[in-house]
Amino acid sequence: MALHPSQLIALGVGKGTRALLRRSGRGGTSLPGLVAERIDPRLTGELAQGISNGSLLITGTNGKTTSTRMIAAALRGAGLLPITNREGSNMLRGITTTLLSEASWRGRLSASEHLIGVFEVDEGHLPRVIAELAPRMILITNLCRDQLDRYFEVDFVASLWATALQRLPATTTLILNADDPLVAYLGESVPNPVLYYGLEDVRWGRPQLQHSADSRRCPRCMSDLEYSLSFYAHLGHYACVACGWHRPTPRLSAWHVEVGGLDGSTIKLQTPWGPQTLEVPLPGLFNAYNAIAAAATAYSLGVEPAVVRAAVGSVAGAFGRLESFAVDGRRVLLALVKNPSSFDQVTEVLLRKRNALRLVLALNDNTQDSRDVSWIWDAGFEQLRGRLEWVIASGHRAADLAVRLKYASALDGLASNPGGLSIIPALRQAADQALRRTPPGEELTIITTYTAMWALRAAFVRRGHLRPFWQT
Amino acid sequence: MSTPDEEACRSTGTPDPARRSALRLTIGYLYPSVLSQYGDWGNVLCLEQRCRWRGIAAEVLPLEVDTPIDPSAVDLFFMGGGADSQQRLIARDLVVVKGDAIRTAIEAGSVALLICAGYQMWGRLYRPFRGDDLAGLGVFDAETIHWAAEEQTKITDITSAGRGRMVGNMVVEWEGRRLVGFENHGGRTYLGAGARPLGRVVMGAGNNGKDRTEGAIYRHAYGTYLHGPVLPKNPALADHLIGLALQRRYGEVALAPLDDGLEAQAQAVALHLRR
Repeated sequence: MALHPSQLIALGVGKGTRALLRRSGRGGTSLPGLVAERIDPRLTGELAQGISNGSLLITGTNGKTTSTRMIAAALRGAGLLPITNREGSNMLRGITTTLLSEASWRGRLSASEHLIGVFEVDEGHLPRVIAELAPRMILITNLCRDQLDRYFEVDFVASLWATALQRLPATTTLILNADDPLVAYLGESVPNPVLYYGLEDVRWGRPQLQHSADSRRCPRCMSDLEYSLSFYAHLGHYACVACGWHRPTPRLSAWHVEVGGLDGSTIKLQTPWGPQTLEVPLPGLFNAYNAIAAAATAYSLGVEPAVVRAAVGSVAGAFGRLESFAVDGRRVLLALVKNPSSFDQVTEVLLRKRNALRLVLALNDNTQDSRDVSWIWDAGFEQLRGRLEWVIASGHRAADLAVRLKYASALDGLASNPGGLSIIPALRQAADQALRRTPPGEELTIITTYTAMWALRAAFVRRGHLRPFWQT
Repeated sequence: MSTPDEEACRSTGTPDPARRSALRLTIGYLYPSVLSQYGDWGNVLCLEQRCRWRGIAAEVLPLEVDTPIDPSAVDLFFMGGGADSQQRLIARDLVVVKGDAIRTAIEAGSVALLICAGYQMWGRLYRPFRGDDLAGLGVFDAETIHWAAEEQTKITDITSAGRGRMVGNMVVEWEGRRLVGFENHGGRTYLGAGARPLGRVVMGAGNNGKDRTEGAIYRHAYGTYLHGPVLPKNPALADHLIGLALQRRYGEVALAPLDDGLEAQAQAVALHLRR
């Protein structure tokens, strides 16, 4: 492979930009790729051709980062060298940044025959990334309401995906969540091999959908779907009475999932590779789902089940997605929420073994957080009713959180307690105040949106309580 | 005129069961299981809570596809936003099954709050970017044309879909006050002579991004593109609608003031946001 002169320039400028950002102590994950893309948009595709074992893509609203980490760990365990965009930017430019930092100045990736690309991809950017990388496998976890100011409607994202999947090489394997009707339906219209995974443990079913559910319509005929089981958001066992379309029977199914609060879960799987058991060291049903998705992908790539089991069992939480660390004798739980369904899941896990939370809630409205903060009204703040010792609302839209808590009746009973609710928009100040008010030996919970999470994390890193993300 | 019952309502945000007023209010929530995007549900919660805090018994009546409506039973209709595909699904039911009852109720003084897709569907016509025109309820003398249909552009990806869409924070002047929220719509709404706008756009696009009007009012029906949801951050509008809804049964009612300190803070932040 030889790069065109303009691609060499794009590569050089991109690498240079990255070096400068690193020297100034920042971990720029998208600017170098963006600069290179602007100079020559074909660079990414050219560089990706140098990956000897091809690339796989992981997309979906929730669970991308954790699944990607599990898959990369499994591949590493199998002796491969995964290239991943673990630093977080999951748009095409983030993948470009990853590739150009791995490549030599002449555009050569290490000649190793063990290279494999494992890329997390933003939902809206999947079509472009597919066009550039021609991936050998794609995992799609779920499609929930998220950032409507960027993506408008989940139906629209689903239609973009369906169009993009039509352009895949016929050999690309799709790993799809059977429990999400919008995702499962994608497998109906492509000739590609599909492996469906799903949850068969009926004990996880709830009688009705929570209000963050956003797709209860049959993707084929738009009639009501009937749910015999509902797990969370719109994930469950469903069938369309009108046209007869129904949840595909997953060939890889989790028939027994035991979740132990913050301690993780045990999953028993029925798979084409025989019965398997996974121990997941991350909390909540959503992380069990991530492990099932990652295992399905790794098995399909030919990774030995024992290696998959070891990889899933040793993976640490992605930064901010329920991280736990000590600060001056206090335990801090830092939880990232991105949308109503992740808020509901995280809050449920946090409340499972606790009577009352000392809580910092942080809401920003930058592009990566969602500029429209109305999503907090679709999130189940009602869960917090009677479960708060005190709460500090923080971030640029702290007052919106306070209003949401008030209307959820989550402040009832706190009003008589001075400091029951504080509004402190400045994030570091809010964290300091919260730590002061948390007695040594006790626990502080922080639930935060994306950019507020980075700001809070940076503050903890500066004080030596956490390592910077490029060292994790 | 106010009655001793209303005078007694407390203003602290917690209901006082000993002084419960005898007032009742029924909210007819149109298509709650279909139109559940953008947190618009929060408007219904806001109305319920602000009634509860004053000892007014508020009841929410879900009005799904095929649910018939008794025009005299609903004091306040609410309908929220949704995707184009969802709009098509409910359009027929709204116009054919519920149309007469709703128009009768509105003429008799019922109140309505319609957000985004709900607002569009209460106009005369909605023209989507693909597919046939949808007839609306016709309460508002208004037509909505999707920008891509108006400009005869094809939408193929995220970038082209975003080009003509009106997305961002919005501030509207209404009756000498400011309303805040977030708009996110592809439809451009044009008012006819029979509808008057809810207000004037201070920041944002509003009805169509051209004439600085936002929303529509016909009798006691209020349509708007403001998400947020609109009522919790604009409690004056919430109380205005509650007052109008009670008026139908009880004549003029003076609502006890509530402590809106948190709401005022949230509004103050929203007034200074970038577009």
